[in-house]
Amino acid sequence: MAKATRVLSMYDVPMWESIERGAWALQRCSGCGVFRYPPSPICPDCHSMESEWTPLAGTGTLLSWTVFHRQYFDDYKPPYNAVTVRLTEGPIIVTNLVGAEPDKDCIGRSVVIVYETHEGQQLPRVKYTKSE
Amino acid sequence: MTGVSRVAAVVGVGNSDWIADNRITRNGGKPHNSFGYAAIAFKRALADAGITADQIDGVVAGPTTAHERMCEVLGINPRWGVQADAMLGVQEACLAINAGMAEVVLLVYGNDQKSAAVNYGGANAAGGANFLSYVYHAPWGFTSQGALYAMQFQRYMHETGFTERDLGEVAVAQRLHSSLNPQAIMQKRISIDDYLTSRYVTEPLHLFDYCLINDGGVALIIMEASRAAKLKGVKPVVIHGIGRSDLSRGATSLEPRLTDFYRPAQREAATQVFGMAGVGPEDMSALQVYDSFSVHIPLALEGYGYCPTDGAGEFLRETGISLAKGLPVNTSGGHLSESYMQGWNHQIEAVRQVRGICGERQVPDCRFVHYSSDVAGKAVSIIYGE
Repeated sequence: MAKATRVLSMYDVPMWESIERGAWALQRCSGCGVFRYPPSPICPDCHSMESEWTPLAGTGTLLSWTVFHRQYFDDYKPPYNAVTVRLTEGPIIVTNLVGAEPDKDCIGRSVVIVYETHEGQQLPRVKYTKSE
Repeated sequence: MTGVSRVAAVVGVGNSDWIADNRITRNGGKPHNSFGYAAIAFKRALADAGITADQIDGVVAGPTTAHERMCEVLGINPRWGVQADAMLGVQEACLAINAGMAEVVLLVYGNDQKSAAVNYGGANAAGGANFLSYVYHAPWGFTSQGALYAMQFQRYMHETGFTERDLGEVAVAQRLHSSLNPQAIMQKRISIDDYLTSRYVTEPLHLFDYCLINDGGVALIIMEASRAAKLKGVKPVVIHGIGRSDLSRGATSLEPRLTDFYRPAQREAATQVFGMAGVGPEDMSALQVYDSFSVHIPLALEGYGYCPTDGAGEFLRETGISLAKGLPVNTSGGHLSESYMQGWNHQIEAVRQVRGICGERQVPDCRFVHYSSDVAGKAVSIIYGE
């Protein structure tokens, strides 16, 4: 077994640098304003190759979840969860829910991004929005 | 007649000894490598068709074996060839035959994934080079194709009211089928309670929702239809239609998985395949669905029009998908219970059902068999018939 590793294409590097600063940014298309994830060379909607790294609001809605009962990585001991979140900016991300475990009522709940240290690096995860 | 309908027919099928090889590999042995399993299947498919190797003028090699080396190992110099998975291999063979670029195409697959300890999750997860979603979310511990389907299925249950118990009907039905299949690795029937009490791997998916991992090989020989009709001692199984539709936009961020569960691609492929074949879902005697995970089955039932959208739970509970009741789905036991040959065993099962040689698991009066897959949102659909 080995530790979980990042996919680091040349377009991913600026994103992970923004995460390390605690301000996750994604490319926002200069042509049509659409955010894209994962980072890539061209807007899939309008095909503009111009974009600006734009910090996320850090908010979203929980779409779905799973709990791993099998170990795949040294640095992830089961059971642990993974969730999908629709960011306010549009893209779907995969991350982990912290502060609570997902359950049958979690889909549709508002979440906010929090930064945690994992293996010495910053990793964006989500927790439920306080007001809920 | 449109597209590649009735252009080609399957005249020979073969496979390796899944049960015996699985027994050996489970004890740490390795009877063959991928080329060896492919070679066994090749010889059996040739014998089944009653032709000699020098008649083969096209070769489709499966994705796990290099095309040139496969042709070298089998001693074939084709005039046409490609490397492809099972479903696209059938499509490519029909296109080549239709274009006159080949008349007799060998499709051959071998995979030593069990004895070679191939990992479908974790570091260096298999398939990651072709599908970024298989590896991109690893920093969050999210890995394995099972987890992708777990995430998809959880959302599907939330939106449709489908339950884990409904999904259990798939594993139970396919075990009934494999118990009637002397070539199936898993022969012991299971009950819904067995399913519900089995452990989770990636919740909400249970162990029985996962396909097997085993070594083996499969081969088919596809021949130009008029030539196939003249073969002595062989009942050609005609390819009546093929459809394909991909959902690649947003694939890594799981957009098509989570918003409409790949059903739009299946609907499009269904329109193509039924249109080309000139038949509909109601004409199908059996359905074979690529089942790396049981979740594929309810989505295919909806996407291909066997039941209304969001109606798969009711279909599974009331109509049924087994040889005992309803529309027989994955009559060999499929990937869950017969053998994980990445769609290849579904093709030869479809052929054998149309031939009517399936013994205890034979579908009565089997005229058309529909194959469907939606691997990573690439929906492919094939109709086999007399």
